[in-house]
Amino acid sequence: MTDAELIKGCKCGDREAQHELYVRTSEKIYRLLLRMTRNPDAAFDLAQDAYLRAFSRIGQFNGDSSLGTWLYRIAVNEALQFMRRKGTRPLLSEASSLEASTPSEGERITTRMDVNAALDLLETSDRTILVLRYQEGLDYREIADVLNCAAGTVASRLNRARDRLRQVLGGGYGISEDMAEARHLTDAE
Amino acid sequence: MNCLSARESLGAYLDGELPVEARATIESHLAECPTCASELEFMRSFTASLSESTAVQVPTQLWDEIERRLDGPVQREFTLRNRFLGVRRYALAASVLIAVGLGTWALFSLGSGASVARASTVDFSALLDALPKDSVAAFEEFLNRYNARPVLASEAKSSAPQLDFEIPAMLPGGFRLERAYTLRFGDETGAAARYSRNGEFLGAIFHRPVHREEFGTHKDYECVIGQHRGHAVAVGDWKLVHVTDASTCHCVLSKLDDRSELPEVLKAVAPRSMPQSDTKGHSSGH
Repeated sequence: MTDAELIKGCKCGDREAQHELYVRTSEKIYRLLLRMTRNPDAAFDLAQDAYLRAFSRIGQFNGDSSLGTWLYRIAVNEALQFMRRKGTRPLLSEASSLEASTPSEGERITTRMDVNAALDLLETSDRTILVLRYQEGLDYREIADVLNCAAGTVASRLNRARDRLRQVLGGGYGISEDMAEARHLTDAE
Repeated sequence: MNCLSARESLGAYLDGELPVEARATIESHLAECPTCASELEFMRSFTASLSESTAVQVPTQLWDEIERRLDGPVQREFTLRNRFLGVRRYALAASVLIAVGLGTWALFSLGSGASVARASTVDFSALLDALPKDSVAAFEEFLNRYNARPVLASEAKSSAPQLDFEIPAMLPGGFRLERAYTLRFGDETGAAARYSRNGEFLGAIFHRPVHREEFGTHKDYECVIGQHRGHAVAVGDWKLVHVTDASTCHCVLSKLDDRSELPEVLKAVAPRSMPQSDTKGHSSGH
């Protein structure tokens, strides 16, 4: 089934087309929601909500973006709303212990577990943009589509998110200056 | 190019997002600056680690749940939407009655050997956010989210036998019942009713007491409405009042004055709720 046939079928409420869309995208969508919420139950519920919203709004899909990007946008919005309602904040106590355990300046923490553990400690917005870029492989234009912002904003937000990730990891360039900013991780955006 | 400028562009350079000329400028700087070159390598290393994500197993029952919900509320969405298009004319009137029965579920035992339902919350945040802009649309969206099914008032009661509430044909103050609904959350059912009075709407919501209700950025506060003690969330002229007893949370969304008309409405929908109800076990999240 081509994308055009898929869209047409979904617009008609064709169950086979809806299922095909689900089959093609569910791993990415569920993975994204899991990384954003850090909660399998929440990801499970939000994935349902995202697909139902997509199926009910497929009539509004006008092809300005790819179907995948459009679906990402819906899923990200569902997760961001969920996280705002929960009022979650980074686990600073864990961040402190992570910093204390990091090697001294000059060594680099690059293991997957360390980096992904640090990712979990970030603000939702920082984690979201890093996940979209480095785990979902979206380019800046696609990220801008998903987050409904300008491409230039994507670049600056990624810079900020990378800096904050590095603050949590506790290593690298300009560390003394950046560490002073680390205490502001809980500031609401 | 100085190090500060280079640092601002390193991420985009690493991501392949810089135009050709800018790439050349960065590369020229990196060739002469070991600090920035080291920074680039560090960035390359941890982003590579980020990219090495493990495969995720999508729960096998995810599609089943989506399909179950597709077979229920989404098909009715068009009926509800068309019905409410006519109702939009009344949206400018004073009170909007939003009756949403909320099926809620909680992680508590239902009895010896009983299965435990999935925990969740009742989420009013989107409804509250959208109230000032378009209360009918907010209600419509909320109903869609919680699997609303229009039914007779008697069926709304019988479908939620674990709850104790009333949906009278006429409320004090002259609000006439427009429509009753069942709602569903997971394994639990709730009920809802929509009333109108000369073009004004009022809503009632009945659900199992839950550990948390979500109000988003809106704050709730304790209040006393007539003989009932409860909580309320105010959004402009709107007020969502919650009165909870042992079995049921009774919610009324309206613009009614809480000293004159609202107490009588609460008594009508929660006639057996004890005076000065204890609100323990019913907290809000925001």
